[in-house]
Amino acid sequence: MTEVNTSIITCQNLWQVFGTNADTALSDALSQSEGNSDTAATLLRDKGFIPAVQDVTMSVGVGELFVIMGLSGSGKSTLVRCMSQLLPSTTGDILIEGENVVSASKKRLIELRRHKMGMVFQHFGLFPHMSVLENVAYPLKVKGVGSKQRRSRAAEVITLVGLEGREDSFPRELSGGQRQRVGIARSLSVNPDIWFLDEPFSALDPLIRRQLQDEFLKLQATLNKTIVFITHDINEALKLADRIAIMRDGKIVQIGTPTDIVLNPVDDYVREFSNDVAKGQHAKVSSVMLSGENPTTAEDPGLTTTMTLDTALARCVNLYNPVPVRDETGNIVGNVRPADLATALQAEDL
Amino acid sequence: MSADNQATGLLHLSAGSRAAFVTLLIGALCLTIEPFAPWMVSWSAAWQLPLTDWVGTSLTWLLDSIKPAARAFSAFMNYPMNWANQLLVGTPWPIIIGVVTALGWYLGGITMAALGLIGLSFVLASGYWVEGMNTLALIAVSVPLALILGGLLGILANEQPRIRSALQTVLDVMQTVPTFAYLTPILLLFGFGPVVGLIASAIYAAPPMARNVMLGLERVDSEVKEAAVMSGGTRFQQLFQVEIPSARTQIMVGVNQSLMAGLSMVIIAAVIGGFNDIGWEVLLTMRKAQFGQALLAGSVIVVFAVIIDRMSATLATERKHYDHRVTFGILLITALGALLFWSKVPNPSDISLLNPVAAFVDSEMSEFIRTNGAWLESFKNSAVYYVLLPLRIGLDDAVLTFTWGMNWTASMSYWLFAGSAIVGGLLALRGQVTAGLLVIIFVGVLETGIAELPWLFVLVATAALAWVASGARLAIVSTGLLLTILVSGLWDRALLSLYLSGAAVLACAVLGGLLGLLCAVSPLAWKIIRPICDMLQTIPLFVFLIPVLMIFQIGEFSALLAIIAYAIVPMIRYTRHGLINTPDDLIEAAIANGATKAQILRDVRAPYAAPTILVGLNQTILFAFAMLVIAALIGTTGLGQSIYLALGKADVGLGISAGAAMAILAMIADRIVQGFAKERRIALGLQ
Ligand SMILES: Nc1ncnc2c1ncn2[C@@H]1O[C@H](COP(=O)(O)OP(=O)(O)OP(=O)(O)O)[C@@H](O)[C@H]1O
Ligand SMILES: [Mg+2]
Repeated sequence: MTEVNTSIITCQNLWQVFGTNADTALSDALSQSEGNSDTAATLLRDKGFIPAVQDVTMSVGVGELFVIMGLSGSGKSTLVRCMSQLLPSTTGDILIEGENVVSASKKRLIELRRHKMGMVFQHFGLFPHMSVLENVAYPLKVKGVGSKQRRSRAAEVITLVGLEGREDSFPRELSGGQRQRVGIARSLSVNPDIWFLDEPFSALDPLIRRQLQDEFLKLQATLNKTIVFITHDINEALKLADRIAIMRDGKIVQIGTPTDIVLNPVDDYVREFSNDVAKGQHAKVSSVMLSGENPTTAEDPGLTTTMTLDTALARCVNLYNPVPVRDETGNIVGNVRPADLATALQAEDL
Repeated sequence: MSADNQATGLLHLSAGSRAAFVTLLIGALCLTIEPFAPWMVSWSAAWQLPLTDWVGTSLTWLLDSIKPAARAFSAFMNYPMNWANQLLVGTPWPIIIGVVTALGWYLGGITMAALGLIGLSFVLASGYWVEGMNTLALIAVSVPLALILGGLLGILANEQPRIRSALQTVLDVMQTVPTFAYLTPILLLFGFGPVVGLIASAIYAAPPMARNVMLGLERVDSEVKEAAVMSGGTRFQQLFQVEIPSARTQIMVGVNQSLMAGLSMVIIAAVIGGFNDIGWEVLLTMRKAQFGQALLAGSVIVVFAVIIDRMSATLATERKHYDHRVTFGILLITALGALLFWSKVPNPSDISLLNPVAAFVDSEMSEFIRTNGAWLESFKNSAVYYVLLPLRIGLDDAVLTFTWGMNWTASMSYWLFAGSAIVGGLLALRGQVTAGLLVIIFVGVLETGIAELPWLFVLVATAALAWVASGARLAIVSTGLLLTILVSGLWDRALLSLYLSGAAVLACAVLGGLLGLLCAVSPLAWKIIRPICDMLQTIPLFVFLIPVLMIFQIGEFSALLAIIAYAIVPMIRYTRHGLINTPDDLIEAAIANGATKAQILRDVRAPYAAPTILVGLNQTILFAFAMLVIAALIGTTGLGQSIYLALGKADVGLGISAGAAMAILAMIADRIVQGFAKERRIALGLQ
């Protein structure tokens, strides 16, 4: 679990309601429901408005890889669009490095986008009249970077996503996966600190997907970017995420570490997501460990905090009493009851 | 069914039936009290407001106040016009032909190069080179002006949503205002001369550009727009580096439409005279009844239209790259040839290779008229006496001994109505109440004549139709608009226009529908008819007048034929398109159920095509109104004639009022038909 020290993106009571005069409708609904956001959202829905983001409060830490999941139409893209200010949110505050971007001037927003933020779009959003190279170099062009520098930087990121040799192709000549990689390259060309990715790997085949995921983790480790990542794929989320937010009908129903989400889902909706996950391969022993207490038994199958539940259970098959758990350095930090391991793994079948 | 049920059954008639029922009642009422209350039938002159005069006075005042600026502008526009003129007329013709051929190659390869070469050679051979170049010079100035104006408006509307809806309305209205109606105020503002045609053409050609720019920008993929935003572009960079280039295809469609509209208007503006262009030449030769020459000059217009249309259309498609060396080669040969033969190039006005053809056409034509005149005359007469006149003034006035061999009597009316009542009643009993009522109403209209319909009936019938088509709002608006025509004193003329366009639309609907059906079932027929349709749609309206005039002389019948020839195209196209494009799964389901081809056509394709066909009908109506005014040149009565006369007298009040009345009729028809089309689409779950 990454400790969130300083938050780089903070959303406070963020609402995004679609419909004409949504702001008055929202404030009416809120006053009518005496501030209860669920009641207000129902009122709005009844009147034909779409509360796509509903009273979201959350923050993303510096260098964190934050994943947003949720069913189709649950408001994931809309939430990210609000963060990047592509959509002016109906109410609420969005702080980027402490600066409230909701009230930022147009000029300031352009500056932020030129230097701070990058975004990969769900449907790529490539410029149809530009070649791959021109697409990737475009963010540099609007910044006024000279053409030679532009080309060399663009070539660099194109190589990074493995598209070298296709620089002069046009988007219509590329496959879906290739297009997506152009989108990724384009968003990387200005080397942003904050990177928004809306289902970036959905159009890729499993092999390239895994390659890019690994590439991605490496990138994040070296560049320490803050990443907000939307995906439908729970395995992808568990693999990449520091924390996961699960959205439903515009609301965030749970935020937590991958293990939290898998082992302690707050409701059936969240549980559904992790249903097809082999839990044992993702959850770690630390999630069921009782810290501090010293076990009374002598048996020590050699569990460590970072061991997966599957491995741990395999080592404790015949054991019934609590066993000690060690950290990386070998000190005993707590104990685990083997029964808890099994229960945690079966939670989904309840 | 119990009596109780029947009683409530009457109350539960469909909206259409109720509307038809009310209309029928009002019609019957009008017929019965006609003898006692003539004011119910024809609007009393005492109730008219001098609307036309008011419009005239206020417009004249307005125009006078901006006249100095307009005149200065027109003086200024003289410069680019003269330059373009000198450039096109002064440049030796071989160079122009060479450049156009090279341009053709550059845009579309060998076909376009050949089109340019052959087309312009024809223009040269026809002896109308100078006139043609004069016309081109006008377009060369007016269309770029229109493109800039339209492009700016489109961008502005895209940037300012509040301007957008206002502009949309203005463009909608401009589309329905007949072309001639533009000319009168422009004439007053800018004075006589080619500059009027230039400005009229620039104004007329701007809307298609504005529309397409708006549409193109709107249709740019939203994520593409967002990607431009996230790249950190300023609004200006987003617009000019991403959105406009992405919308290129649609914008090029706008350029194409703008060019065609500009050409069409330049030709029409020749009516004002004062400039030796090709439109004027057509008018002149038509007036002198030199049909061979008129046809030749008309063909020059057609050639220009085809070249401009086809070449600019390549801009809107996926461009292929043709070898630049060929382009340069053609240019080089042209330049060399021009240098070598500089002094020997014959003067284009001295070339008249095709004069013998014109003479031949003339002699053949008179020969043709001499041998076939009798049956042509009788064809025309029977159409006029047995169809047009009854439609116009009703059976009661049109049936005379002199033409029908009998006189219409009151008892005939009774029998007719009794017959229609029986047919209507039978239909109603079979459950088709609306159809039954419509039969009776139709017979009533036929008996009275469209031009003599009581005003009350027209108002109620229109309101009823509008109500059924789209609801109370349209009904109220339509009635209000019709009332303004009524009190303005243009009512009689409006009915005459309604009659002529109604006749044309009816003919187009039947004929075009059948042709569309034929094309839908027979690919061969479509192969033959399609190029004809393409051609008819490219030809400027003006040219339609020449052949009908040659054969049937001046008169309503010729006008009718010209209108039909122009307005039938959308009906054919949309009918075919609708019938062809039924979803495959529907057809397969029908085949699986054992339906024959004819059954599929009737039960699956036709209902599914209905909304599309209605859109075609709508286009046909608008086309017919547009042509109605042009047809005024060869003898129609009604609003078109008023607009034309107003132009001659520079009477803005009449010109604009009659133009507005025409636009009102067109708009009401447009909204009603669109309402029905929408209703059908919703019923089919297509919307
Ligand atoms: N511009 C818009 N106008 C109106 N409604 C919108 C708009 N954009 C999104 N919505 C609505 O907001 C809701 C959330 O949409 P959003 O695109 O955020 O969903 P999502 O979670 O990203 O779904 P998906 O996984 O399919 O991408 C949906 O009901 C959608 O219809
Ligand atoms: Mg989405």
